[in-house]
Amino acid sequence: MNEILVWVIKTGFIFGGLVGTAAAMSLAERKFSAWMQYRIGPNRVGPWGLLQPIADGVKFMFKEELIPDGANKWVFQLAPLLAAMPAMMTIAVIPFAGRVELFGQDFGNLSITDLDIGALYVLAIGGLAIYGVILGGWASNSKYSLLGGLRASAQMISYELSLILTILAVIAMTGDLDLRAIVEAQNTGGVWNVLEWNIWYQPLGFMLFVVATFAETNRHPFDFAECEPELVGGFHTEYSAMRFALFFIGEYCAMTVMACLTVTLFLGGPSVPFWAAAPWFVGFAAFLVKAGFFLFLFIWVRWTLPRFRFDQLMHLGWKVFLPLSLLNLLATGVAILFRGGA
Amino acid sequence: MVIVKRKTLSFSERLYLPEIVRGLSITFRKMFAKRVTRQYPEERLETTEVTRGQPRLVVNEDDSIACVSCGLCEAACPAYAITIDGQETDRFIEREPERFDIDMLRCILCGFCEEACPKDAIYMSDELELADYSRAALIYDIEKLKRPKSALEQRIGYVNKINQRWQTPSSTS
Repeated sequence: MNEILVWVIKTGFIFGGLVGTAAAMSLAERKFSAWMQYRIGPNRVGPWGLLQPIADGVKFMFKEELIPDGANKWVFQLAPLLAAMPAMMTIAVIPFAGRVELFGQDFGNLSITDLDIGALYVLAIGGLAIYGVILGGWASNSKYSLLGGLRASAQMISYELSLILTILAVIAMTGDLDLRAIVEAQNTGGVWNVLEWNIWYQPLGFMLFVVATFAETNRHPFDFAECEPELVGGFHTEYSAMRFALFFIGEYCAMTVMACLTVTLFLGGPSVPFWAAAPWFVGFAAFLVKAGFFLFLFIWVRWTLPRFRFDQLMHLGWKVFLPLSLLNLLATGVAILFRGGA
Repeated sequence: MVIVKRKTLSFSERLYLPEIVRGLSITFRKMFAKRVTRQYPEERLETTEVTRGQPRLVVNEDDSIACVSCGLCEAACPAYAITIDGQETDRFIEREPERFDIDMLRCILCGFCEEACPKDAIYMSDELELADYSRAALIYDIEKLKRPKSALEQRIGYVNKINQRWQTPSSTS
């Protein structure tokens, strides 16, 4: 089969899945939040409110788009795209499943591409997401938006450090930057492949990573980019219509990618417990279940915990998370040294 | 002056995590709790006999209106919501309203008209919904206010019961 065609199909499948997940998350967020508050949630549009994301999308398309007078128009219009793009780009290197064979065709591994430096790519592109937030806040020419953007950027930078350091420990264990290799190292065969998952070797790293992903995606309890009582909204106060929606699509895409990344790095990716040689679709289903749990966790935590105070956030980031992740890296290094190389 | 001592947190509380897990378990359990939402247009609140909704005019069993356009409700209305013009009629009561308008935007649902009425012709119904596209449409005329006696039964019974209180043994005889 034509190699380019295979590529286009895989890209369309994964990218469509990502955007579809983002849309489904907007509904799931509202449904779960409702259930946790004794409410019912959206149930008017379609059965169970399943068509709600489509209705929202149509509404956003037809709404009037306002650009404030003093705004820097070029940057103002660019910022939402910058916020949504990095998450959509990083999904490219996530290894969803092994070799796909369908209708007698070999589609190769189920990921858009397997970069040699996949982990590095994810961190480099993921770090760009902050530009969307801070530029959006700055270009609005509103003090509240600017403050929201500044807070978000300060937070994301402080937590990115611990995020990178925990990933570094995993990379050191595997000895490879390729996410595919990291996944394969966690599933080398045998019945007890569950015990090969990095979560057992990096419990502290796993915990730090999960908390850092919350900060990295600007989710509760670290959603400092937005705050109604102090900032009249946040970095997106001045945005409306589809550009406003783009920020949210970006946020949900980032959540999805972070959930996938957590599964890849710590939970063996598509590795099926007790079934090392599972066919690709079982592995893919296992991946979706694991990633689904983390997506649920994002929502679950959001509707449980209140927002941190800003100084508490900084305290936690610099005085607790950074030393702990450094310690984690050191302990990993010492362990590797004594076990005789990775 | 009250000095509020800040509670010293235990080690597990300072670790955040056990407390976060506790919070998560609470929200998870509440996901399966009973819902309190009422699906409004389909599921309405039940009205009782004390419900004081919008005032409505009583229509007798023979389709004639009970009002004699005496104007007492118009005078009693604190919000000046009622406007009545009377006219002669061949019926025994001799007078009936030609025009009986209640401006529902002014009506405060106080029930004074109901109390003032000497002919038991106006009652507070259990109708509570009030929405329209124009102000003019919310000035209800006589046709919009008419309700058969049976529809107001509950409230009429309640008002009669309350009125028993004012009746001395001599006045009933």
